[in-house]
Amino acid sequence: MRLGDVLPVEHIHTFLVHPGKGLAAAPQIGGTTVALQGKLFRLLENIYLNSDDECDIEISFNHDADGRQQNDCRDLITAYLQNPGLPRARTIAERLFKTTDKRSGLGLFFLIAGREGRNHKLVISRFPTDSAILAEEDERNLTVEFLERVFMKSATSYKAAVYQDSSLQAGFWLGKAVDKQINSRMIEVSNYWIFDFLASDFRLTAAHGTRRLGAALRNAARTSQDIGVKSELTAAVTLARGLGRRRISINEFIDHFGLSEAAAQDIRKQLTSPEIATEQFQFDLEEFKGQVGFRSVELSNGGILTADSGDFNEVFHREIIDDRTQEVKFSTTGRIVNEKLRKANE
Amino acid sequence: MSDLEKDYRRRFDSVLRPLVPKIQRQLQEFFFNEPRIDRVTVRAKTIDRFLKKANTLIDGRLKYTEPLRQIQDQIGARVVTYYLSDLERVTKIALRYLRPIESKNIVPDSEWEFGYFGRHFIFIIPSDLLDPSADKEMIPEFFELQVKTLFQHAWSEADHDLGYKPEAPLSSDAKRRLAFTSAQAWGADLIFQGLFEEQSKKVAASKRDGDSVSRGAETN
Repeated sequence: MRLGDVLPVEHIHTFLVHPGKGLAAAPQIGGTTVALQGKLFRLLENIYLNSDDECDIEISFNHDADGRQQNDCRDLITAYLQNPGLPRARTIAERLFKTTDKRSGLGLFFLIAGREGRNHKLVISRFPTDSAILAEEDERNLTVEFLERVFMKSATSYKAAVYQDSSLQAGFWLGKAVDKQINSRMIEVSNYWIFDFLASDFRLTAAHGTRRLGAALRNAARTSQDIGVKSELTAAVTLARGLGRRRISINEFIDHFGLSEAAAQDIRKQLTSPEIATEQFQFDLEEFKGQVGFRSVELSNGGILTADSGDFNEVFHREIIDDRTQEVKFSTTGRIVNEKLRKANE
Repeated sequence: MSDLEKDYRRRFDSVLRPLVPKIQRQLQEFFFNEPRIDRVTVRAKTIDRFLKKANTLIDGRLKYTEPLRQIQDQIGARVVTYYLSDLERVTKIALRYLRPIESKNIVPDSEWEFGYFGRHFIFIIPSDLLDPSADKEMIPEFFELQVKTLFQHAWSEADHDLGYKPEAPLSSDAKRRLAFTSAQAWGADLIFQGLFEEQSKKVAASKRDGDSVSRGAETN
């Protein structure tokens, strides 16, 4: 859809939301309706139209504390979409007020609602406050002015979420979010957006996402015909232990470890669709070890060396004997604690 | 044939039936190597059963205004395990890999009643199981997973077979007898749990004794 072709945006409401976490009562939050024309509208319309691409974290609303299929934030969103006026928009702004603490500061909050075919669509976004300098020049002079309370679509702390569904009753459980702070060291500051305000969680659990990644790496290493790719993959598995609890997708994993195009293709071939590689999850080291816990090297002389994938390079010392023939020598020192026989096809 | 039947039949053939083995395989992988898993089953709700549920009335009005969206057990899975204490372990594994929007422990309303027992979850269908070329409108978002002991499973199967026949509703006496079998299944679960705990303690004690004997032998 080209900008200006149709007008999918039907309602925009905005509120100045102060941090109010822990405060007993919410003050009247200042809000207004934004006209569906002009520069501000075009900026917000652009956010609305690009929200599907920009919001790259798949999330779902949590059930209530008793396990029932009910979520306070979802209730506010569907109520607003049933009757998108300022009073119902304010209830969502009040929820943001109650979940924002002082570290996140003041924010300008937008609700942008529209219809796309049979679907209701809602984009909610929070612009953090900043200060700025306004510089204006004419032929002779330059004037500068300090501006407070400037709200910017910050590259480091902008937050948004998008929901789209045809059913206000049965739908609107799944959405997508963007949180530019999510992998920052200030993660506890940003957690409020998805976990507190939206009362949601990542759609792909840490264990499930990590399991997919581990299985894709394991299967790619097994099926790849390229010995160089196999080395890249095993090196990435070893280094992955340093990821901690980072939010990552399979594509981001590939980028993070600078894997070659051939290795990336071999990993993506293991997935049922390319979209799977874009889904974010929190890395789970224990699950990862369960999937790719052991690294084996098979030699042309029939020898097979196996060790914990994280310790392999410490357990076996590798020495290049002949670079041309790729002949190597592995050595290790230890006490024999066990010996095993296994079937040929195991 | 109603529009609803046509729509569900299309969904049943094109999406639900192909999804069943995929969900089953994934669940089996999640529970691979876990002890005391009797079975993992997955089924697509038959067209008859779906239409019957879609036509449920409450106070003379249809319970479901959007049955294709609101009926969330179009795909139903069940994990059957042995003992009551296994339910928690199985639940933890399911929640480790799947995201729920509902989590219920179903028990009869009153302590003086016996009937259906079981843990029910509504989970989001994992994206890697969905056919990316399928019509998105046809794909349900959720599936139901039930976690039961062997006795809960046996009782609910027989109850479902006997208790849901509109042409032959259960008499008061038959309902009482069904409740009696539920009480017996409940009691059997308690006794098996007790036996399991006793045996586990004995095995642990025997292992401890064995360890101390072998440590003693090493010292001597």
